[in-house]
Amino acid sequence: MALEDFRADAMRCTRCAYCKWIPFDLMKSARFAKGCPSMEAGKFHSYSAGGRLVTALSLMDGRSTVTERVKDSVFKCTLCGQCDVSCKICRYDMEPLEAMRELRATLVKDGHTLPQLEPVIKSLRNEFNMVKKPAERRGDWASELKVKNLTTEKAEYVFHAGCRYSFDGDLAHITRAWVAVLQKAGIDFGILGKREKCCAGRAYDMGYRDEFDAESQHVLKAWKKAGVKTVITPCAECFQTFSRKYTAKSGSDIKVVHTVQFVKELIDAGKLKLTRPVHLRVTYHDPCHLGRQGEPYIPWNGKEKKIFGQAVCYEPPKPKYNGAFGVYEPPRNILKSIPGVEFVEMERSRESSWCCGAGGGSHEAYPEFSQATANERLEEAQSTGADAIVSACGWCERNFIDSANSRGRKIKVLDIVELVSQAL
Amino acid sequence: MDVKKQALIEIVGAAYVSDDQKVLESYAADCSYTPKRRPWFVVRPSSAEEVRDLVLWANQTETPLIPVSSGPPHFHGDTVPGAPEGVVVELTRMKAIKRIDRRNKMVVIEPGVTFADLEGALTKEGLRISRPLQPRANKSVVASLLERQPTLIPRFNYSLPEPLRTCGVVWGSGEVAFTGEAGNGPMDLEAQWKRGVAQIDPKGPNATDLMRLLTGAQGTMGIVIWASIKCELIPSVHRYAFVPGEKLEDLVDFCYKIEHVRLGDEVMLVNAAQLSMMLGDRERKAQLPPWTVIIGLAGAALFPDERVKVQELDLGRIVQQCGLTLSNGFPNVTSAEIARAVESVSAEPYFKFKSCGACQDIFFLTTLDKTPVFVSSVFAIAQRLQYPIGDIGVYIQPQHHGVSQHLEFSFPYNPADRAASERVRQLYDEASRLLISNGAYFSRPYGSWAQMVYSRDVDATHVLRTVKHIVDPKNVLNPGKLCF
Amino acid sequence: MSKQVPRDAYRAIEDIVGPDNVSDDPALLDSYSFQWLAELVRPNRSHYMPRPWAVVLPGSTEEVAAVTKVCNKYDIKVKPISTGWYHWAAPMKDDEPTVQFDLRRMDRILEIDEKNMYAVVEPYVICAQLQAEVMKRGLNLNIIGAGCSTSIVASACAYFGGGPSSYYMGNNSDNLLGQEWVTPAGDIIRTGSLSSGCGWFCGEGPGPSPRGVTRGGLGSRGGLGTYTKCAIKLSPWQGPPVLEPKGPPPGYRLPIPDNFRVYTIGAPDWDAWANCYYQIYDNGIGYIFHRQFNLAGADLAPAMWLTYIDPNKTLNDVETLAKDSEIKKITEEARISFQFVMQGNSIDDIQLQDKILDEILRQTGCYKVKRFCEPDMAEFTNMYMQRLGHKHCNFIWVGGYMGSWMQPGTPDFVKNYVPVAIDGFYRDQKGHKLVECGGDAMMGCGSTIGGGGFFGLEQFVSYDPNDNDSIDACVKHMEDAITDTTANGIPPGKELLYLQIGWTDEKIWDAFAKMPQQFVLNFQRKIKEAFDPNSLGDRNYPWLPEGYAQRSKAAGSSSQQKREPKRKLASK
Repeated sequence: MALEDFRADAMRCTRCAYCKWIPFDLMKSARFAKGCPSMEAGKFHSYSAGGRLVTALSLMDGRSTVTERVKDSVFKCTLCGQCDVSCKICRYDMEPLEAMRELRATLVKDGHTLPQLEPVIKSLRNEFNMVKKPAERRGDWASELKVKNLTTEKAEYVFHAGCRYSFDGDLAHITRAWVAVLQKAGIDFGILGKREKCCAGRAYDMGYRDEFDAESQHVLKAWKKAGVKTVITPCAECFQTFSRKYTAKSGSDIKVVHTVQFVKELIDAGKLKLTRPVHLRVTYHDPCHLGRQGEPYIPWNGKEKKIFGQAVCYEPPKPKYNGAFGVYEPPRNILKSIPGVEFVEMERSRESSWCCGAGGGSHEAYPEFSQATANERLEEAQSTGADAIVSACGWCERNFIDSANSRGRKIKVLDIVELVSQAL
Repeated sequence: MDVKKQALIEIVGAAYVSDDQKVLESYAADCSYTPKRRPWFVVRPSSAEEVRDLVLWANQTETPLIPVSSGPPHFHGDTVPGAPEGVVVELTRMKAIKRIDRRNKMVVIEPGVTFADLEGALTKEGLRISRPLQPRANKSVVASLLERQPTLIPRFNYSLPEPLRTCGVVWGSGEVAFTGEAGNGPMDLEAQWKRGVAQIDPKGPNATDLMRLLTGAQGTMGIVIWASIKCELIPSVHRYAFVPGEKLEDLVDFCYKIEHVRLGDEVMLVNAAQLSMMLGDRERKAQLPPWTVIIGLAGAALFPDERVKVQELDLGRIVQQCGLTLSNGFPNVTSAEIARAVESVSAEPYFKFKSCGACQDIFFLTTLDKTPVFVSSVFAIAQRLQYPIGDIGVYIQPQHHGVSQHLEFSFPYNPADRAASERVRQLYDEASRLLISNGAYFSRPYGSWAQMVYSRDVDATHVLRTVKHIVDPKNVLNPGKLCF
Repeated sequence: MSKQVPRDAYRAIEDIVGPDNVSDDPALLDSYSFQWLAELVRPNRSHYMPRPWAVVLPGSTEEVAAVTKVCNKYDIKVKPISTGWYHWAAPMKDDEPTVQFDLRRMDRILEIDEKNMYAVVEPYVICAQLQAEVMKRGLNLNIIGAGCSTSIVASACAYFGGGPSSYYMGNNSDNLLGQEWVTPAGDIIRTGSLSSGCGWFCGEGPGPSPRGVTRGGLGSRGGLGTYTKCAIKLSPWQGPPVLEPKGPPPGYRLPIPDNFRVYTIGAPDWDAWANCYYQIYDNGIGYIFHRQFNLAGADLAPAMWLTYIDPNKTLNDVETLAKDSEIKKITEEARISFQFVMQGNSIDDIQLQDKILDEILRQTGCYKVKRFCEPDMAEFTNMYMQRLGHKHCNFIWVGGYMGSWMQPGTPDFVKNYVPVAIDGFYRDQKGHKLVECGGDAMMGCGSTIGGGGFFGLEQFVSYDPNDNDSIDACVKHMEDAITDTTANGIPPGKELLYLQIGWTDEKIWDAFAKMPQQFVLNFQRKIKEAFDPNSLGDRNYPWLPEGYAQRSKAAGSSSQQKREPKRKLASK
């Protein structure tokens, strides 16, 4: 795709500003009504999806050039996709999230990059991870685990930890916990350890398409070699990257499941039993890439057509990707089935979840913005009276932990596997 | 002959120009404390054209005009000339009911149409208007609505000027312009009716709400030559319920609840003195509870009886929630009597005069929660000045769906008793000052209230003087009123 | 070519709001100049209105006033915007440097007085936010026709203010209580009880109401300064304290409580439809009253909405469904229909309202449209009407929508122009450059004022803003609508208001000079002279130069030719 492919989106944007809010039907208070972290930080309209569509148009039309302000407005965004959901409440013909990704890719291609992201991309190129750590240390989290090494062995499932869960010492226990759960269920799986490579989904979102293409080829090659049919991952970003971006760009037919989906199936099949009580009041944070961006991939290669004279639709019909069918219920059902857990819902949940602030390169490029976004979410979590905010993504958890620590918040930040492990 | 008189005769005709001293004297003062001043002439135009010509003449000669539409007595000083050499423009000859439109429930009338005239005509069409409490039979409907006199049925009160909608106006400059939807033209009501327009929307025209610049204006902005008014259906079932209370505070929450859900048609909260005045007999005060909420339950159009029954059920639930009692009348005072007191026009000359011969009122807008404090403060002043607080009528009329409340104090007195008159005057002055300084909103600043209000309200003074300068650049319309 | 503004002006503004809250970055400015409907009036079908000179984000009334004073010093026009939807919201002229105030930092609900039923808000509080808060307190607010994403301050102080709930809750003009206004001169003026230091609760007085200067049928649309706060009257809400919609997007459904009813009512013809409206007014039943779904076009509306509520379907399915024989029957049944929500104070109350409605339907020959009253559609209707969060569906077909007609009046008045509007729209769709949804795509409130009696129906003309031929077809429709209305003696509708954005001042004044009454335009000129001495407000606040009407008559200028009416009105 090219930015020009989104000209129609820009021309058909009506500046309704729905992209700044959660779907209005779902608003339960004035406090937690907003949907766009970028708008909260940037405030000007160009920081919204609609505003970025105009920016794209303005650049394409030669009415403006890329300035520091333009870069700030384009990149200071987690690409959480809330705007996309809200826009698509009423529109079938708009793809604001994809347009924003394309805008970034165009800027990067034209050399308008953020210096803050350079080291991250360099790390991806050289060390195959996006957390600026040596590749050699990637498998350290599993060094004491007895688990198949798929560089030398075969298994039906690969457990792909992801960069955050591989390298983040604060989260390694979560990675190990997932492995323990899968082993308890008797699943035949392995890991690639230090040979595991970054999914590069973040690079894609940052606009580095070439790097994504190169990296994805490495990953697919390794899986093929290991005979993998299904990828299980605890990282929401990896999940979304594999299930949507990989299948879209490389036609991969490897099945992708998030650990919450997989574990839910195991529980339903009786292979795992959650019987020990865990007395805790929890709320669940939907990671963007598991929730509204975690909808199943539907292959499509079509084009716009018009019906009734001027009404736009597509031949064949285009998948909507409006957040309706994200992975929302499995984690909730897991939590609700743990004895003793009191589950409370935040106002902004499921497709209207407020972002953790980590995505789209924001964690790396705009730490203040990223943290402010996380803080907002923790504020919301605490407003429910919950003792803990539970999620299913290492990036979310990292951001929440940092925010909670820096502001002295008492709320615990947990991964869902921590409660599952306690309940087994 | 006086040059001015000649000019006036040329406009309205000799029979309708008076400089008779008795006539002039009758307009020189009213029941308020406004200083006396005689006009020089009283004229009685019969048409919009004559009104326009009068205003144009007034501009040429810089003669003050004082519009008057109602018959006497007058109460607020707005009809007493505030500048020398004034001409009273008495609009009682303009008394046409121009159109009753049952389908759209609208009536268009001239300023001289009184409540008595209008209600008779509307009744034949099954219509009524939401109107104030016991208006004088000779009170001009248009004048009453222009002055935002509080109306009895809060659920119809979408805005304070309701049920007034649009007006035809001769502005102070002499230009004729219509307000609201009527201002979109054509400039002829018949042509508008032919087009299917019914002068319903009060807003505008364009980006100005001309009607709102006329309301509360005491005739200082323009002379209304016709007005369209929203009507309602006459209920075929109409009963009253009463909720008594020992103290005003006991009834405040209850009133909030019923006003919140727009229960009932007529809703008011009165004390015994007020209710006895309404009944026309001060002595009945003793038979009445200290405070009473009066609620009219009405059913019009389809299933009227069931409508009233449902309201009665809902009302009963609220009464119970508040721990109060519901009553259909009082010993020695029947529901029918109270209904008549609510629905009738005033006895002559005015119902508040019956007990003692005269009465002064203080009224303003506030919110319901503040009413007990205001009542206490007025009673305290009265007590200090040795005015019998048991005689003070208190009338609380919900407005604007209950968001604001018209709070009115009535102080009857014997005008022949100098001491009593002086006491009331002092009470009026002190209480007004205290109330204004404590946040009572004197939205209709008559007489001495004007100086009190506008000296504290720089913004309103600035805006209104700007408007006045535009629509009446020579300040010919009722100068000396408000902040002009 | 815009005149040069000294850089000192920018610095002076930075000193007030801080460097983070002002920008003149070209792409950022374009995000403000890009506005819906610009393409109908701008040269070469550009989607850009004039670019502001700078965008400023003030955080308080004082900052608005201070920046406005800077603008006075440097002769920069001032144009406030809050949620900002419509080409009216943008700067108006290319050669006038304009500061666009983006009021999004002023987003506080300052007070909710539950007992006295009003709330005080800043400009960036949207209807949905306030509704969510006041519903917890058993209250509701009138959400305007443009939907819940809109600013309450804007609709009450500066725009129109009517919506589907105005029938019960009143127009936001009447719901406006105290307000705070920064004039184009930079003065802060308060109106109503607020200016008298008595709080926010009353919009009238003292004496005549100064608020009469700030808005009428329309407000000044940003052309006479900035409204920075207002109090808005609330209304009763007997539903749950928090709305709990169900289902995946887009067609969220809101369960209907026992004391509510949600119907789509159909009429056999326009006479019956008008009679039904009148009976509803007479009987005073109903809470939300709107002809909503018809925006998709009567020929396609059932197919559209039944597609919409299915999360698995796309617009492709509308094409298929429209051909379905059952859907065709529903289409005819719903051809002349509207949505009607009733709220009861109690179960007894709602049951009685139901009974009254049934009798009205019996007497008028109207009926409940069965499919639309089934639970899925009824709950979707309930969600749509209560929160009005789907108003962007106005653009659902292809992103362009222009509302023509909408001359307001009584049901009888509206009924008379509807056939003309329908015929005209069928005609205009024949070129295939507009969405062919049928001639009746007319949407409108049951009443835009409390108690009923006054509203208009707006033709939803859907065009492709990405296709100049389609834009041209829309403009032609607008011109044809003006011709049709002129020929039938009806005042022009919204299309004229929109087209005027692209006119020169002189052309606008020529049109004003022909109006039956110029009084208010001359009045507004004088108000502008008083409150905007340096003319920093733009022509969204209309006025007529002194003596223009007389000069225009003398010059005998009129370029309009009489054209034969396409269709005469039905005789009364």
